[in-house]
Amino acid sequence: MKDAVRIQQQDFSQDEEIVALRASSKRMGGIATFIGCARDFSEGREVTQISFDAYGSMAVAEMKRLRDEAIAKFGLLDARIVHRIGVVGAGDQIVFIAAGAEHRAPALQACQWLIDELKQRVPIWKKEITPQGDAWVTPHP
Amino acid sequence: MIKVLFFGPVAERVGNSEVAVDFSAGMRLQDLRAQLQAKYPAAFELVCFAAVDGEQVQDMSLLLAEGNEVVFMSKFSGG
Repeated sequence: MKDAVRIQQQDFSQDEEIVALRASSKRMGGIATFIGCARDFSEGREVTQISFDAYGSMAVAEMKRLRDEAIAKFGLLDARIVHRIGVVGAGDQIVFIAAGAEHRAPALQACQWLIDELKQRVPIWKKEITPQGDAWVTPHP
Repeated sequence: MIKVLFFGPVAERVGNSEVAVDFSAGMRLQDLRAQLQAKYPAAFELVCFAAVDGEQVQDMSLLLAEGNEVVFMSKFSGG
């Protein structure tokens, strides 16, 4: 089975990730997921691709820490985080988060917390590739 | 030797993703930053965070050791 926390160049399958999540416990009554995708338009410009750079070892370590913290903070039964690096095309998947709990509220809350914290804490950078040139993205609050 | 890594927009402005800096006894993180900032001022305009051996460090007076891996990073924009 694939690791619950990964960074990888290739695309991921939401179905496979949820099968893996559900395999961890039959007590799971609620699963919340988030998929971040590459938009084809940003700041008034057409975006054809997004390129991701990462400090890989620290990114994975921080994502594992986030998962552990989310499990403890929200009482999750399991959680999975997958982030792609390299070049992804407009419309493609970038990041996957799943949180499984006994009930829906902690699953939903944990899912939002995980993506918000990931954006703040995980050393990954994105560059938008447009017909007018490339530009590194300045984080939004 | 200290291995210094750069990623994303900082690497682009440095023109390199890795540089080696001679280690000297008593060298602190702030000394290394000052040395590199003088060499790559445009890149260091973006730098917000530093990490030593994979752990983010707030204390810029941290003493470095031979063989440390140091990273100067801009704000993250993953997800």
